Amino acid sequence: MKVLTCFKVVPDLTLLTDEDWQVVNNQVDVGFVKNDWNPFDESALEMTLKLSELSESLSGSMELTAVSVGNKKIDSFLKTLLALKFQHAVRIEAEQDLRFNPHQIAAWLAGYVKKSHQDVVVMGVQSGVGDNAQTPLLLAEKLGWPSITQVIGIKPEKNGCLRVTSQMDDGVLEQVIKPPVVLSVGNAPNSFLRVPTLKDKLNYGKKSVEVIIPTDIIVDNTTEAEIHAPKLIKLSAIENQRDSVKIQDGTPSDKATILFNRYLKQRLKKL
Amino acid sequence: MTLKREEIVQTLEKILSPEQVVTELSVLKESSIDRFRRFEGYHGVYLQPFPAAVVYVNNSQEVSEVLKFANENGINIVPRTGQSATEGGLETAAENSIVLDGSRMNKIVKIDPYNMQATVQCGVPLQKLDDLLREQGFTTGHSPQSKPLAQLGGLVATRSIGQLSTLYGGIEDMVVGLEAVFPNGQISKIKNVPRRAAGPDIRHIVIGNEGALCFITEVTVKIFKFFPENNVYLGYTLENMKTGFEILREVMVNGYRPSVARLYDPEDAAYHFSHFSEGKCVLIFIAEGAKPLADATAGAIREIVDESGACTPVEPKLIQRWFENLNWDPSDIAEEKKEIIETKNICNTTEISSNWDRIHDIYEVCMERIRNEIPDLTMLGAHSSHSYLNGTNIYFVYFYNVVNCGAEEEITKYHLPIKKIVVEETIKAGGSMCHHHGVGKHRTHWIKDEYGSSYYMLKTLKDAFDPNGIMNKGTIFPIED
Ligand SMILES: Cc1cc2nc3c(=O)[nH]c(=O)nc-3n(C[C@H](O)[C@H](O)[C@H](O)COP(=O)(O)OP(=O)(O)OC[C@H]3O[C@@H](n4cnc5c(N)ncnc54)[C@H](O)[C@@H]3O)c2cc1C
Repeated sequence: MKVLTCFKVVPDLTLLTDEDWQVVNNQVDVGFVKNDWNPFDESALEMTLKLSELSESLSGSMELTAVSVGNKKIDSFLKTLLALKFQHAVRIEAEQDLRFNPHQIAAWLAGYVKKSHQDVVVMGVQSGVGDNAQTPLLLAEKLGWPSITQVIGIKPEKNGCLRVTSQMDDGVLEQVIKPPVVLSVGNAPNSFLRVPTLKDKLNYGKKSVEVIIPTDIIVDNTTEAEIHAPKLIKLSAIENQRDSVKIQDGTPSDKATILFNRYLKQRLKKL
Repeated sequence: MTLKREEIVQTLEKILSPEQVVTELSVLKESSIDRFRRFEGYHGVYLQPFPAAVVYVNNSQEVSEVLKFANENGINIVPRTGQSATEGGLETAAENSIVLDGSRMNKIVKIDPYNMQATVQCGVPLQKLDDLLREQGFTTGHSPQSKPLAQLGGLVATRSIGQLSTLYGGIEDMVVGLEAVFPNGQISKIKNVPRRAAGPDIRHIVIGNEGALCFITEVTVKIFKFFPENNVYLGYTLENMKTGFEILREVMVNGYRPSVARLYDPEDAAYHFSHFSEGKCVLIFIAEGAKPLADATAGAIREIVDESGACTPVEPKLIQRWFENLNWDPSDIAEEKKEIIETKNICNTTEISSNWDRIHDIYEVCMERIRNEIPDLTMLGAHSSHSYLNGTNIYFVYFYNVVNCGAEEEITKYHLPIKKIVVEETIKAGGSMCHHHGVGKHRTHWIKDEYGSSYYMLKTLKDAFDPNGIMNKGTIFPIED
């Protein structure tokens, strides 16, 4: 089974100060903070590795590919994935700002999926920089594949099937499906990607990142992508203030009782 | 006659009050270790003897009474405040220890801007004191990465140092006077004067004692005027550490005092500065203080760096944003815990110092040996973060995957063998095995080599102030049969 995991490298926006949130040339400059895995994609990558490990004993090994769209600054992340034994690390070359253009990304990914004949696509539901939450669904649509959202677990099954666990509004759904499928990973319990050893970095990291020029995988979606490309014009801060009440009188035990009765009991009932 | 656990608890409840004496099992377990054994702790493995109780003291008199009781009955005392210790200083190495917690002694006693000093109780969090001072235009100048975690008692007890040390010094340069309580119950106060030549400087018996001689109850530190608006941030990339050490040395021997002077090797730089380091070393300076001073310092450093011809400047904002996010608060600790449990990947560190002439050799030999001798490493890097006229420090940082062994073997399989390499190579080269985390309980093995013939003086302090050996057994001084 060929599994493609798509990921995005994102700046750590928590490192920005208020004064950094300014629109200059339709952009917020995030170039001076560290980059990291997009958290949902990080879960997706780890989930893929676990799936592959489990499948080895059951139905033989999987062929894992990791792909991202961007410039060569993300190559170190792709190298890490090679060291974690993804067989292929692919970068779709792009210099432009695609944060708010999931259509473009989905078109390129669809092109790559078709070209490389993948069976399963795993990716995070959204990334904090664009917050579009559209790419997995758009990709599924372009491929004409089914998609499962809010995935929190994937296991191999016999006959080339997968057991996929996903969160629903009113519970957890487990279904056995036959690929092809696009799996959109939500709030998975495992959120960190394992870390490769220096030795593995040396041994497997030597493999080079495959760089793909978009025109090699896609032909005619430019108009669609351009139509859908929004521009960043204005930012406004979200009011994060909360009301607070100080429970003042009584012993710690009295205070805890007041806290429970007035504020927690109702919430617990709802749960 | 040794007292039983219940007798110890009962007496403590009488000396203090039941509310101040905690014997809940989960608390006792967690109080038997510190960050040195956090991997074990995160996996529910607790191998140290559980203390008899954790007691929260409110004033020096209570400290005195608890110490007297322990001294008379040979009960081990482990002092603590912020609990951010990294070297085993909080491990309860003896049966039925009492963990003496000063974190409720958290009053800011006096801020005295005319004499430029602040007096606080041992449990005052450094962040709280410094935030308060900054609101008034002052600072302690102390900025360890654990600023949001550590408290003044622990900071003095470990001879801690902060990121701004090249200008403001380590805690030993900041402490004016203090109050400490000794095992026999004696409460001693050292007065606050600018300097004196009335015999040896006895503050240094207390500063860095790691709870192995006395309990610190109050501290007076210098305060400084704070001019953040004048800060100048400088950052560079460069090819190798040797050149970086030379530049640091040039800045120091010419008398310039940036507050921050740091040099990262390529691996450590890739960890902190992956967005711009491009596989190179990174050199960082911050010049601060009154504007003419900050500008002159920055100007001179630029000249020294330019003359080396080895460095490429980077956007100052890159350095500023990194620096503003360097410290660790409780949420970082919680996040780290989650990550360690999920990935079995853990970071530990060992910090040493040496004169300029050997620092690069120590760096090279340690990196080479650790890389070759230790399994499952995922990152090995180092940086220099505190420079002096005659030398600098190195902070070795290493991450490894804990694999094919139980949680209880993490220390013996990975951390201690790495520490051993760093400590032995440093001592061999004439450097010091502990730059700022303290000896704790896991470097005591080498304490006699560290001190050489001056160990006599150190040991005599222990014999004199703690003749019954009740203070933090196994810390600084090895447990000997
Ligand atoms: C994320 C992180 C970053 C760190 N960064 C730095 C850094 O930049 N610089 C640095 O120097 N250190 C650093 N440390 C180490 C640690 O924070 C310091 O050693 C700090 O001084 C400990 O203070 P504390 O209040 O937490 O003390 P604790 O952890 O409570 O105790 C530390 C030691 O001091 C003794 N002790 C505590 N209180 C007293 C007292 N009242 N009287 C006598 N002995 C006492 C204890 O027995 C123990 O041996 C870091 C630690 C962490 C976890």
